Amino acid sequence: MSLTINTTINGTPVSASAEPSTSLLEFLRDTLEYKGTKLCCNTGECGACTIIFNGKPINSCVTMAADAIGAQITTIEGLADGDTLHPVQQAFIDTGAVQCGYCTPGYIISVKVLLDRTTKPTAEDIEEAVSGNICRCTGYTKIVDAIQLAADRMAGRS
Amino acid sequence: MAKAEYTVLGTSPARMGGVERVIGKGIYGIDLALKDELHGGILRSQYAHAKIVSIDTSEARKLPGVHAVVTAVDAPDVRYGRTYIDRYMLAKNKVRYMGDPVAAVAADSPAIVKQALKKIKVVYEPLPVVIDQEEAMKPEAPTLHDDMPLPKNLPEGVKVKNVCSYTVVHVGDPDKAMAEADVVVDEVYETKMIHPQYLEPRIAAAQVEPDGRITVWANAQAPFGVRTDVARLLGVPLNRVRVLSTELGGGFGGKASGITSGAAIEPICALLAVKAKRPVMIVLDKAEETISTTIRSGAKMYIKTGVKKDGTIVARTGKVVYDAGAYSGFGAMAGARCTNMLGGWYLMPNCHIDGYVVYTNKQVCGPVRGPGGPQAAFAVESHMDSLAAKLGMDPIEFRLKNTPKAGDKIVGVPKLRDVSLDETITTAAEKIGFKQVGAQFVAPALGKNQGIGIATGSWIESAGPGGGAVVKVNEDGSVTVHIGKIDMGTAPRFGIPLIAAEELGVPVSDVTVVNVDTDASPWDAGTVGSRAIIVSGTATKLAAIDARNQLFKMAASQLEASPDDLEIKDKQIRVKGTPSKSVALATIATNAHNVIGEVIGRGYCDNLAMMAEEKAHGNSPPFTTHACIVEVSPDTGNVKILKYVAVHDVGFPIHPVAVEGQIEGATAMSIGQALCEQVVFDNNGRTMNPSFVDYLMPTINMMPRIETTLVHGYPGAGPYGAKGAGEIACVPPMAAIANAIYNATGVRIHKLPLSPENVLRGLKAAGKA
Repeated sequence: MSLTINTTINGTPVSASAEPSTSLLEFLRDTLEYKGTKLCCNTGECGACTIIFNGKPINSCVTMAADAIGAQITTIEGLADGDTLHPVQQAFIDTGAVQCGYCTPGYIISVKVLLDRTTKPTAEDIEEAVSGNICRCTGYTKIVDAIQLAADRMAGRS
Repeated sequence: MAKAEYTVLGTSPARMGGVERVIGKGIYGIDLALKDELHGGILRSQYAHAKIVSIDTSEARKLPGVHAVVTAVDAPDVRYGRTYIDRYMLAKNKVRYMGDPVAAVAADSPAIVKQALKKIKVVYEPLPVVIDQEEAMKPEAPTLHDDMPLPKNLPEGVKVKNVCSYTVVHVGDPDKAMAEADVVVDEVYETKMIHPQYLEPRIAAAQVEPDGRITVWANAQAPFGVRTDVARLLGVPLNRVRVLSTELGGGFGGKASGITSGAAIEPICALLAVKAKRPVMIVLDKAEETISTTIRSGAKMYIKTGVKKDGTIVARTGKVVYDAGAYSGFGAMAGARCTNMLGGWYLMPNCHIDGYVVYTNKQVCGPVRGPGGPQAAFAVESHMDSLAAKLGMDPIEFRLKNTPKAGDKIVGVPKLRDVSLDETITTAAEKIGFKQVGAQFVAPALGKNQGIGIATGSWIESAGPGGGAVVKVNEDGSVTVHIGKIDMGTAPRFGIPLIAAEELGVPVSDVTVVNVDTDASPWDAGTVGSRAIIVSGTATKLAAIDARNQLFKMAASQLEASPDDLEIKDKQIRVKGTPSKSVALATIATNAHNVIGEVIGRGYCDNLAMMAEEKAHGNSPPFTTHACIVEVSPDTGNVKILKYVAVHDVGFPIHPVAVEGQIEGATAMSIGQALCEQVVFDNNGRTMNPSFVDYLMPTINMMPRIETTLVHGYPGAGPYGAKGAGEIACVPPMAAIANAIYNATGVRIHKLPLSPENVLRGLKAAGKA
């Protein structure tokens, strides 16, 4: 038995069918071909598959596609405005926070949610917002720089 | 060399490939989709050591939706391997670790693959399992490879088994010097296996083209090595196999399939595609990844050093027992490096170290970030503090007393040209808060349960053969660079474009470095061993100069000048000193169509000559010192890093932000190994923590800010005096943290990880908790 999933992704209404056992990550990547959201641990531990789901960052690998019915979803593909990158995307490039880049989409999503809430995040805010996003390349130092730079730019401080 | 000499070298423009990564459009291996593709899966051994009595695939073959089932009998009877040819692509007769590939299936869906794998009936006859490498050397241990002889260079009278390779370091008369020492410290250190834990799963995809050629897509660090393995194992010539690199989401040596021959999935995928006559793609899940890829091996290290009262080291003896895992993989090389590095990078007039690399029933050793180095440094630099403590000497002063100077030899380098070890030590000491008073270093005021630690390191980068580059100047003046190295967030798309831009006088944004296509790219051993900037950087520089010479030769007659008097600036070829006499780069590159066909510069880095012993890495290896302040909880044993500094001599940093990024990432990986990471095995050889739930690795919560300082560097062997930076930062962290714990508690922990459990055990044993 297939389910019909009517949902909104990056502002566009989408309708597609999925098996009840399909995860939201599989639905996004394999059915709808939003491949910017990445598969890694598939157990909700690494954050590579983070998307914004009704305003909150979630791990799409441990969410069912069926849960997306009627939801508002933002993926990494929905952040840039045409050729203009979102300030968080630009800051990740400018600070050298993108090495292999595989954790990057999930990271940027988590940071966007944080900075939408506050552009004056404390060190604790930052730690909490991205504690579920593992990066194996950077040692996190340049990622923290990117978050700070994006916050400054979004607040007009830089 | 001063930055001012260059236009773009030494600056840090945005990396190539950054935009597609932040918008989610980079095509990684896992994002591939081949038309009409089948899903592939591998049946892996559920025993760590067993004879294969029989394999029955008939039920699996009958399953609707299954297109191919393969076992060893479906492939040529050919083995492969790096140091020794000791393994099959699919196990034949015997399995040697829990995860050894036995059979593979291609089917319409992942669910059918799973069902089919379950229907393959393998009858095993279990054999005794040996997990510990020292146990494996004993006469009573089970034999892993009946047909692999012991190394020919083993010392006479040594009774061992399962030894896959042996290395010896011998300098001077260590026994005599040890007897004459005033202070002797004899210790044993041990590190555990860690997993590289790149985030992107390994994949392989393959299809047979209409002309019978096989195309393979790989997110592997050595695409040419993958081509070698596929051709060899399928019994076809190299020109019948084409390997295309996808983007690669982290490797750290764990995706060095094709170099290690330790965990290759590409030949299996190619075999499935041939048999199924359809494209096939294999994606490993995290658990399968964790038990099957190549890893950073554990090492047991015996180290004994004799010192004079004034702190002069006079002798060292030691033994390394290095875990190869089930096959030789990269074990021989990594174990040899560990053995050499146990001799340290200080003055060492007398030294003897035996290094044994031993087969065990575990997954295979790979060239994971600084193979052999981090293990050795944990022992060497913890031991240095033990020696200083017994001497009653300040650990920094003790180190400085024994650092080599230009012209000295150290183990592995016969004559150093330049040495920056002193500079890194004093800089790190200052950055972490020490105040130098005479020869003494006075520690900063620390809180309760806090301690400060320092550790140094070195690393001989760029092992292996040479590699090439091809630089094309297109008719619009833009530049295309071909190298045989895949980008994994390292030099290929950070430093390499800068080199071509510098030599050809074009903006960095006009340079493209294309991903590897073995049909078109120049051959290279792969993105491993801190080779990218050294080998491909050198080759790119020479190729760009070759292209420039071709341009100048053509422009000379037009500008009525000698080629030697020309320069390129801002995409104009002009006469030096007479900028008005100029012609556009694009014009000459277009004219080339009628003169030489196309501007194609070719460059080659003769790595073996560059790294030859008499030059020993230009005799100027990179050096580093790390220092940290930690707080140890006496109640829980938890260690929190409060401050961390990493000081490095990387020669000339071509792209400083990229260099810092490599240092910070490598440091984090070894901080993970120091504090929490290890692959845990039970006595049957089963991995107990094959998921991110159970395998602890650093998240942002446990990571301090890595404060990186690049000290004035002496020129290295790389282009413009660069040195490799991708691995060396993995070398000191474990000992730096262990030394800080010792400083805080007086307890020396000899075995990694420095986890709450192990630290608490150490504190309790010392009556301090």
